[in-house]
Amino acid sequence: MDSKLRLIQQSLNTRYSEWIREALDDLPDNFTITDPSISGHPIVFASRGFLKMSRYSREEVIGQNGKIFQGPKTNPRTVMEIREAIREERGVEVSLLNYRKDGTPFWMLFHMRPVFGKEDGRVIHFVAVQVPISTKQRRNGGVSLSEDGSGLNEVVFGSCRKEVDSDSLLELRRVLSLDSGSKVLDIEETCKASDFEERRAATAFNNILSVLTHCSELTGRLVCGKRCSVPGAGYVSSSLNISLGRIKQSFVLIDPHLPDMLIVYASDAFLRLTGYDRHEVLGHNFRVLNGVDTDTSTLHQIKESIQTEQACTVRILSYRKDKSSFWNCLHLSPVRNASGKIAYFVGVQIEDDCKNRDGHGLSPEMRQLSAVGAVKVAVRTSSISAGSSKS
Amino acid sequence: MVTMKWLEDNSFPVKNGKCEQLIHSHSFLQEIFTDTNFPMYCFGSQSIEEDNSFEGLSCIAEEEQSILDAVLLSQWEDRMRKGCFRYDVTASEIKAIAGKMKFLSQLNEGQITGHLSKPEGNTLREWDPFAFDCMRQPEELLFCVSSSKKAKSELIPSASVPDSAILVIINVTPVEYGHVFLVPCTTNRLYQFLDPRSVELVTRVAAEINNCSFRVFYDCCRPNRSNVYFQACYFPDPLPVEFRPVDTVYSGGRRGIHICSVIDYPIKTLSFQTTHNLKIMAAAICEICSHLEEKNVQYNLMITDSGKKILLFLQRSFAASNAISAWECGGYFLFRCRYEFDQVTEDAMLKRLSSFSLDDDNFEAVKQLCCSIASKFDS
Repeated sequence: MDSKLRLIQQSLNTRYSEWIREALDDLPDNFTITDPSISGHPIVFASRGFLKMSRYSREEVIGQNGKIFQGPKTNPRTVMEIREAIREERGVEVSLLNYRKDGTPFWMLFHMRPVFGKEDGRVIHFVAVQVPISTKQRRNGGVSLSEDGSGLNEVVFGSCRKEVDSDSLLELRRVLSLDSGSKVLDIEETCKASDFEERRAATAFNNILSVLTHCSELTGRLVCGKRCSVPGAGYVSSSLNISLGRIKQSFVLIDPHLPDMLIVYASDAFLRLTGYDRHEVLGHNFRVLNGVDTDTSTLHQIKESIQTEQACTVRILSYRKDKSSFWNCLHLSPVRNASGKIAYFVGVQIEDDCKNRDGHGLSPEMRQLSAVGAVKVAVRTSSISAGSSKS
Repeated sequence: MVTMKWLEDNSFPVKNGKCEQLIHSHSFLQEIFTDTNFPMYCFGSQSIEEDNSFEGLSCIAEEEQSILDAVLLSQWEDRMRKGCFRYDVTASEIKAIAGKMKFLSQLNEGQITGHLSKPEGNTLREWDPFAFDCMRQPEELLFCVSSSKKAKSELIPSASVPDSAILVIINVTPVEYGHVFLVPCTTNRLYQFLDPRSVELVTRVAAEINNCSFRVFYDCCRPNRSNVYFQACYFPDPLPVEFRPVDTVYSGGRRGIHICSVIDYPIKTLSFQTTHNLKIMAAAICEICSHLEEKNVQYNLMITDSGKKILLFLQRSFAASNAISAWECGGYFLFRCRYEFDQVTEDAMLKRLSSFSLDDDNFEAVKQLCCSIASKFDS
């Protein structure tokens, strides 16, 4: 668990510097930031406004997937639309029924957009702005009324925010009274946001983006709201990242099309096994695991299997970051994408001295093969291109 | 026929088969289960039968890989390494067909070598699934699934023949990764008709695999009226039919059965969900299916969303040889020729599906049938 929290910390710090949380906390809006490259696509930041709206504490939300806010009446098709947008790495704006911690549902406008790395064009984070849709306007449908209503909301929320340090009791009372005013007992099946709420969501996103862009200048690892460069060959899409996050074995993906057979994905278990941080292995050659006593003929065998596009299993002496060595039963297999072409090689490691069946009767070899199968399914199902059949 | 040959000669003679084959098949199964270290997956008693385990939504990310998922994937990958399949299905191309339906199409040139299926229109027809000789190739049987009295589900690496189980057998001409047949059987027979227990068991398989890509299919019209079997594999998620909006047809019963009709989709489709009791939903669906068979309405089932949802596709009553497969109903089309694959349009696929669909009047009648059967089980 600690290692996951560390990953979440780093997710923001290495990209936007340590000042990012403070800067984001100054924004009044309700929003969350998620990182698709971490297993489970967790929330790495939740704004004060969001926490107030959802009534969760920050500790309860960080590291969780956005699904924890969904409930029985949340429309599965809307969830699917969001998932589809994540898969296609594009923005999405939908009305979504979410649930507070106490189980009460509320409608909000869910406005989510990806933030890209400027240098390589890959998705770094998703920002999800969530504007509550006021009930008053839904009943009346009048634009002027709704603007008044939402404007009032904003004033009250704004003042609450200022009081957050000085008088939390008063704040609590205010929030409660506000909610009792807009409480909905019968939740409608659908709900449409007004132009005003849509504008508000777009403005909020732009403000967040400008904070993120500004802070990324501090680290020199710039982000932007539009994809500035086409991701190169060493790129793993968000949806693939998310699918791979489910697979708990130690494995890496190697891109055989890059000149130096670079690692483009490393699982959490791989990082635990080898002691490296993700950024220390991504973009590096698979050779990082080799050391003085690694057998060169075995390395040759691996190279040959990649060249001939064949699977192979070898036992090789590998080295952790701290230079300690272990016998690594490595299985290497080509993985094809939806076009039927080899996109990656997957290398699944098992440490040789922990070769017992686990509590469920699965042998390490079965775990290893199941990881290969799961990677094949993930790569194949997350790489379908639309429209043209040209591969 | 090839179909019956495998069934009768080699493994599971139908009832009253006091012939040698029975002994033969028994010793064959015994051999498989004991000598070759054959795995059996046992459902724990507490997993799905509990009422609350069916709540929750399909989510953005799934949890850790389940044991059953790992078992199926590892066994399938193992057989792939051993060269048991006629071709590498992952080398076949998939694309989305442009248009609002987001239909998917696959160019499966490997199917050309399959000697069983004849081309039908521009897509592949259902092929005979039992055209392999299990006796000659025992490794095509991956493992079997059965219930147990233990609380937790587990894998037993080597087991004896269970009384009632589901055999998981590879399809050597797969349409997607992980393509298997799920064949319900008891010790000395296979099933002639869909029964509630089998539907419940395969739905539990989907639930315990708990992988949003995993789907189970059932086609009511089987070549030569062979015994009951299901098919399953890992498909892109969601399939086009799952994108479509729905209208509630039935809900509010005590057992939480919820039936919707899929709107704005070329083939008539109903979706079944339950928040409570899988067993009862399986029983209701079985009864619906047997009524449909009586009335000569052709249908397919697709179990999706980790066993939480079952889709019922309703086809026009043709001759049994002239029906489409469940994945095709779901919006996933197979092509064996590059030219056809390149030329495919959404319009053509819409036309194709609607030409197989049940008409409006009969669909209304089926809806009423479903409501009355559901309310019988749901009270």
